[in-house]
Amino acid sequence: MKTYLIRRAIASVITFFAIITIVFLLARFTGDPLAELEDDPRMTPEVLATIKALFGLDKPLHIQYISFIENLFRGELGFSLHYMRPVAAVIAERLPYTLALLIPSITLSNYLAYKIGIECGWRRGSKFDIAMVTSSIFLRSVPYFWLAILFLYVFSVELGVTPLFGAMTPGNRPSLTWEWIADYLWHYALPFTVLVFRATIVRVLYIRNTLIDILGEDYITTAFAKGLPDKEVKYKHAARNALIPIITVLGLRYAYLIDGAILTETVFSYPGTGRLVYEAVVNRDYWLLQGVVVILASSVIVVNFVIDLIYSLLDPRVRYR
Amino acid sequence: MVSRLELSERMYTLRRSLNEFMFFLRHSRMTQVGIALLSAIVLMAVFADFIAPYDPYARVGNAMEPPSPEHPLGTNDMGQDILSELIYGARISLFVGFVAAISGTLIGTLVGIVAGYFGGVVDEVLMRITDIWLSMPMLLFTIFLASILTKLPSFTIMVSVILAIALTSWPGAARVVRSAVLGIKERPYIEAARAVGSSDARIMFRHILPNTVPILVVMVINRVAGAMLSEASLSFLGLGDPTAKSWGMIIHYAMIRNAVMLRMWWWFLPPGIMISITVLAVVLIGIGLEEYFNPRLRR
Repeated sequence: MKTYLIRRAIASVITFFAIITIVFLLARFTGDPLAELEDDPRMTPEVLATIKALFGLDKPLHIQYISFIENLFRGELGFSLHYMRPVAAVIAERLPYTLALLIPSITLSNYLAYKIGIECGWRRGSKFDIAMVTSSIFLRSVPYFWLAILFLYVFSVELGVTPLFGAMTPGNRPSLTWEWIADYLWHYALPFTVLVFRATIVRVLYIRNTLIDILGEDYITTAFAKGLPDKEVKYKHAARNALIPIITVLGLRYAYLIDGAILTETVFSYPGTGRLVYEAVVNRDYWLLQGVVVILASSVIVVNFVIDLIYSLLDPRVRYR
Repeated sequence: MVSRLELSERMYTLRRSLNEFMFFLRHSRMTQVGIALLSAIVLMAVFADFIAPYDPYARVGNAMEPPSPEHPLGTNDMGQDILSELIYGARISLFVGFVAAISGTLIGTLVGIVAGYFGGVVDEVLMRITDIWLSMPMLLFTIFLASILTKLPSFTIMVSVILAIALTSWPGAARVVRSAVLGIKERPYIEAARAVGSSDARIMFRHILPNTVPILVVMVINRVAGAMLSEASLSFLGLGDPTAKSWGMIIHYAMIRNAVMLRMWWWFLPPGIMISITVLAVVLIGIGLEEYFNPRLRR
């Protein structure tokens, strides 16, 4: 167990440095990292000099790389031109909104996909199964952002039951009052629904096929042959084994949902890190974009590590490999 | 040089596999629908000049007109005909989709063949990189790459978009090709090739690569769907070429001009429907081809 943990931890650290290096090299080889800042009239020479010194931008590349990493561990991600504030501060303000969207939606969508997928696989070829498989293939072809626009149009514009934009009514400040929570949840409902809907529908097919594979295994035939009731075979023998592949790709699901959050938050003007990606692109705020990429990629690595831990607890075979 | 006998033999195998495919096609309704839809869209793209009622770049009406007999889908904020934009949009979406998918698959194939053929440390390192890249949020990095590549003076926006999609979408192909190569390289004729002193490069590209073609065809088709969706997402986020009218770009402009709030559904709904239909067509063909090459999947 301990060696397994250490191995996974080392792998995570390697992944982290690989990603950081890619980001660093890409950002450096595509132009002067100060170009946009220097061109901006609002920029004072003092701030420019501070950034230059902090990131060692007048020094050779390998020194720049080292100071880039040093700064990263100090939580220093550079300066956002658009917000005229440190990148880390901007991200810290936005990250809670995205995490509050992602964690519940990954949980709920996996649960729903599991329930529906098991049902489809168990009743393969039934009307329900065919309806789910067909809609899964169809909805996979629909652009994510357009699905979000469709939801916005139907529920916010035509029906008027959900707000048009934002995470709270303008002028409201986050507080722990019932009014604020109600207002927050009212704004939360639509982006959350889009994320869950899309993630569930894309997942169902995979779980269904996993279950169908499992149903072909010998131990299922044995379970039936020894006269177990269908229900017991379904839940205790088949469905339980379908859980393992679900957990192994949970990290990928998280990464996929980040992509979904970028598009969904943009459509609903939801002030999370996903929308921040869009804002950074539109405003050509490269430091901010780089910062968001580093933070979100790191969160993927952390999530993957935690999933590995859970997985090793659930499946003892992993620990002894 | 290819001898005449060899040539006629090749023609024969080609004709036979074509016949086999036609036989398969006759029984696969899904593939038929996919091919019919995609052909229709390709024809629309090719003959856009004749089909489109107006030049999509010309001001042919007032701004933001609702649908009318002259403009079946109304006009946009510039007074351009939306239906004409939609018809021309097929060109960009198909072009970017196919070119990005093919280049991405080529990168993946190269990585997969080298990793599978050489094995050992090379394999270990390449597959570790592949896995890292595979575990990352793909769209996030595509956005990052596209916005950074456009800064390079030698790259046009479209080239940057294609490159960004290709550079983030190769890991899937690399994994699949590698596992295929692992099986192929154990075959006797590879050993024979090595015995007569063929170089590694020759064995990889002359003897192994042709055997992965069926997988590659399926890979490319599946990637086209993903690449078209990525292109649409990038354009929607404002990373596309603002002068090229892709479907994603139409939605981008509709969004920043508040078409949703103004209930101008004829502006933002049709481009999304076009993307969905095209992607669906490609997905259906992909499912069909997979069943054709892997008969075990057939029902």
